Amino acid sequence: MMSDGASAASEQPSRWERDKVVFREMLREEWRLHSELLGGGRFGAFPLLVVALVAGAVWLLDVTGTDPGAVVAGMHALALVFGLHTGSIGFIGRDAVGNVLGDVTLLVFSGRTLPLSQGRLLAIFVLKDVVYYAALFLLPMAVGVAPAALAGAGIGLAAVPLLWVTLVTTFVLGIGITIAGVGLSATGLPGRALLFVLLGGGAAAWYTGVPVLSYTPYGVYQEPSFVSAAAAAALILAAYAVGAATFDPQVQSTDRSVGPDFRRWLARVDDPVAAKTLLDVHRSSGGFGKVLFSAAILLGVTAGLVDLAAEITGVAPSVGVSFGAVLGLTGFTTYNWLTTNDDVERYLAQPLDAEAVFHGKLRAFLLLGPAVGLAFYAVGVAWRGTPLAEAVVGAVVLVGVATYVFGLTIYLAGLSPNEFLFDTGLYAAFGAAVAIPLVPILVVAFALAPVSVGLLAALGVGSAVLGAVGMGLYRRSLPKWGAYHRE
Amino acid sequence: MSVIRTDDLRKSYGDVAALDGLSLSVESGELYGLLGPNGAGKTTTMSVLTGQIVADSGEAAVLGVDPESEPVGVRERVGILPEKESPPSFSTPREYFQFVGAVRGMADETVDERTETWADRLSFAEKLDTLSTDLSRGQQQKTMIAGAFLHEPEVVFIDEPLANLDPIVQERVKRFLTNYREAGNTVVVSTHNVDVAAELCSRVGIVNAGELVAEIVPSELGEDETLLDVFIEHVDDEEAWTGDE
Repeated sequence: MMSDGASAASEQPSRWERDKVVFREMLREEWRLHSELLGGGRFGAFPLLVVALVAGAVWLLDVTGTDPGAVVAGMHALALVFGLHTGSIGFIGRDAVGNVLGDVTLLVFSGRTLPLSQGRLLAIFVLKDVVYYAALFLLPMAVGVAPAALAGAGIGLAAVPLLWVTLVTTFVLGIGITIAGVGLSATGLPGRALLFVLLGGGAAAWYTGVPVLSYTPYGVYQEPSFVSAAAAAALILAAYAVGAATFDPQVQSTDRSVGPDFRRWLARVDDPVAAKTLLDVHRSSGGFGKVLFSAAILLGVTAGLVDLAAEITGVAPSVGVSFGAVLGLTGFTTYNWLTTNDDVERYLAQPLDAEAVFHGKLRAFLLLGPAVGLAFYAVGVAWRGTPLAEAVVGAVVLVGVATYVFGLTIYLAGLSPNEFLFDTGLYAAFGAAVAIPLVPILVVAFALAPVSVGLLAALGVGSAVLGAVGMGLYRRSLPKWGAYHRE
Repeated sequence: MSVIRTDDLRKSYGDVAALDGLSLSVESGELYGLLGPNGAGKTTTMSVLTGQIVADSGEAAVLGVDPESEPVGVRERVGILPEKESPPSFSTPREYFQFVGAVRGMADETVDERTETWADRLSFAEKLDTLSTDLSRGQQQKTMIAGAFLHEPEVVFIDEPLANLDPIVQERVKRFLTNYREAGNTVVVSTHNVDVAAELCSRVGIVNAGELVAEIVPSELGEDETLLDVFIEHVDDEEAWTGDE
């Protein structure tokens, strides 16, 4: 028996060998996950699409006279947000993954069944994400700058490798912040208080003029030196150190008991699917706050665009029309939150068909989407000020664009708008279909302000037509999705 | 009287034929078992019969209703426990039953009364107000079973009903199913568990490679014959079973 045991022990792979196997399989799993969602060929084209989009955007911004530094800063912001999001998929848990991708089991969750520690699995998961996205997403982002650099757009070609390195390290920082944030949040009130202090301290330092960005990987891009690199490395290490000290992957959530609210909500919305959908949004992580957060980001983007347009053209844009048009995109973000927690198949054990499910989603959207969009629109208009007529027409534009985007999203992706994240063709079609009405509206808002009464009337009528087109797309999609879900 | 009937059902997913000419008939008051190995076509059969998917060809009827042309009409009259399905993550079992009741047009008082009955029957009263995402697999399965029977339909389709349940609850579910059948209702059970089929079902249809290859009444098997023997005879690869090359 002893010899058998000794023999078995000697056959165990070393920890390093196990890590290599897990790393390789995680990479393969990530590729297959994306390939499965939309077909390998199309996903293979995703890096090329990123190169094309970045190259086009950089060229366009250069033509409009935008500071190349602002373009690079935007790319780093995108890499950070991407890192924050990517980290959350692995670290918030299986439910979060299931809600986004359906019933899947990832290797990172196999710590209880394999001779691997959960901490080590998570470390390999981070490494895998960094390698995978550094190659497939961040490298194309950096390369996308090259054509403009060659054309003398104010970004040197030699800066492209450095840009890639700082984008990757910014992405790494994003994942680290997620781990630290989740870890601190899970340690109860003291941890949350510390998190609040850290975030608040960072924001306060930013607003009081402390060069916060100098201590990040973006600072390394701005001023490459040993000191800036050391500062960025220290920040990243600090985030991971806090994460390592506080994050417990084995932590189990306690049973959450809640009062029976379904009937109360049903009495208000008069549709079981809509009531359940709104309850899902309310009770899932972030609650209705995540819907507001998405709209707040769009509000910030609009404010930035308005400032940028004013700087470039020397003309103050129409706040009402521009804010209405961009905040109309809340139609997509809100619909996304309404469809994260279920799909049509989940309802087919009941006497409901796909049409009834989509009808419930429409009702939930009509209750939530325009209200959120208009609330932030009111904030934007109050903040920046606009003539009354433009404010009224801007509100009409918002509702029209939001309804159009809602109908378009359902027409193209049904209850799975997350597919836009991965399906290159679908994403391109969505982008083009949104740009067709949005670009003319924004041109009017940015270049023809103050908008004449005639143009305002045309915008109002056009937006009503746009909303009708959205509802038409919604209705036309119902037979298609009904058949699709019964195949 | 035949309450469920299929005739030459065919359904393919790409090159894979899930149903390859399946024909069967289930009489009123039967507890009919669809028994077969993994991938035999049991779940596809149930999905076609409940109008969740459409067959490529063939005919089907449940309580005289065509599930292809009237999927909602069929689902109004039957109960369904789907394979691998769990209750909505951010609803509690009580709210899920209220949702089912609202969709099926049941009176609130009836839903509340049956909620308590099922919670007692399957011992999950203390979990009625817990979010489903925080329930164990077993508690989720109990919720789904109760949801399938909440409106007391005359025909019920249940897929692997005993999965994830502890032995005591399994016995309670078996007893309930037998009583339900004896009250004149019809239950179709899909399973790959031969013991469950032998113990529970009044008649068993063995499905293999999308076809109904045999029908057996377990109570009529000889003393030296088991359902497992019949099952192996019809579906098993003898070489794989014995390990011979």
